[in-house]
Amino acid sequence: MSVQTASRGTAASGGGGGTDLADVIDTILDKGLVIDAFVRVSLVGIEVLTIDSRIVVASVDTYLRFAEAANRLDLSSTQKDLPEVVQGMTQGKAVEQGRGAAGGELEAAGGSDAEDGDVQDGDVRDQDRRDQDVRDQDVRDQDEEFAEVERRPRKARRGKEG
Amino acid sequence: MSPRRRAPGREDTSAVREPHDNAAYVYGIVPVDVEVEPGTDGVGEPAGQVRLVSYDQVAALVSDVETDRPLGRPQDLRTHQRLLDRAAAEVPVLPFRFGAVLTDSDAVVEELLKPYHDAFVDALHDVEGRTQYVVNARYDERAILGEVLRANDEAAMLRERIAGRPEGATRNERMRLGEIIEHSIEEEREEDTATVVEDLEDRCEQLVVRDPGHERDAAHVAALVDRDRQAEFEQAVDELARDWSGRAEVRLLGPMAPYDFVGTS
Repeated sequence: MSVQTASRGTAASGGGGGTDLADVIDTILDKGLVIDAFVRVSLVGIEVLTIDSRIVVASVDTYLRFAEAANRLDLSSTQKDLPEVVQGMTQGKAVEQGRGAAGGELEAAGGSDAEDGDVQDGDVRDQDRRDQDVRDQDVRDQDEEFAEVERRPRKARRGKEG
Repeated sequence: MSPRRRAPGREDTSAVREPHDNAAYVYGIVPVDVEVEPGTDGVGEPAGQVRLVSYDQVAALVSDVETDRPLGRPQDLRTHQRLLDRAAAEVPVLPFRFGAVLTDSDAVVEELLKPYHDAFVDALHDVEGRTQYVVNARYDERAILGEVLRANDEAAMLRERIAGRPEGATRNERMRLGEIIEHSIEEEREEDTATVVEDLEDRCEQLVVRDPGHERDAAHVAALVDRDRQAEFEQAVDELARDWSGRAEVRLLGPMAPYDFVGTS
């Protein structure tokens, strides 16, 4: 994590359609009506491959990453450099009331902080064994592939049961 | 599905007989007088065409998916959200969570629309004329680390002890330093989230605090905003972003479908 200048470049050159997948995931995998609550009989079990973007709270991993970031921090530069580092909030506001040219994309294509794309697998009990590659990858780079970090197959229930 | 007609419903003309290995993917619920633009692609590969399955005053946004293929490519996730957000820009929508699939259109009517018709009508009424935003603020890493190191003597001391030494030899110090940082951020987050809630709660109908989506999140809240007050709400978020400039980046997502405000009532 920490500074990730490499992927920041990716984000800046993103061009079109750079909706932050992590934001999408936060919303449509975590929120919204759950159909299972309504329907029990003819729910079809389709395997749903998803990234679990839940935050890792208080993990060993997080601690070590923070420590390393602090270690690399040039304290004397943190104050004078701030205005360059931080950008305003204009990036997130690309949607013109929902139906503009962006067509309902959640946020502007370019310029969003690449770190926002970090997707972290959220099994808090498992942090130590978590695969570094999975945690650090920028999900936007794998757009056309299955976003498969954690398989969460639904219970297969085909057809009517009663 | 069998080709028999359902008595009170009416179906979009693009509805065709569904072959055996297809099922009906459900995006959400809309009022029955809504139309879907022909040629709107849904989730899956090949993408099914989005259509409406109606019953009385409500309709489900639906498309066919093949049951032997997994769903969940980033493209599928985006399609799901884009469809709902676009619909929400025009009409009231009750968005479903990603991944809801029923056997066929009949099942959508018989098991979803019919039994929950009145609840859906009420819920649609509740979100009519309102839209959702998500406000997400994230601490600038250097700023927040600097803040912690300046405010916490133990953290500063640990940092000095770690400096220039290999990771393996300083694991305990690193763990402790990271822990201090993590806890400090958590405290900050609590305060800053309270600030966001205070700033925005009078400018929206409802507001929920989401779990943090990132370890440096300063605040993560969803708000249901009256359409007439969108500008006012956005301006309030703008002001917040200005206040926090240099310290945290504030992003405003939306307007979008009211995902956070369609609890199962």
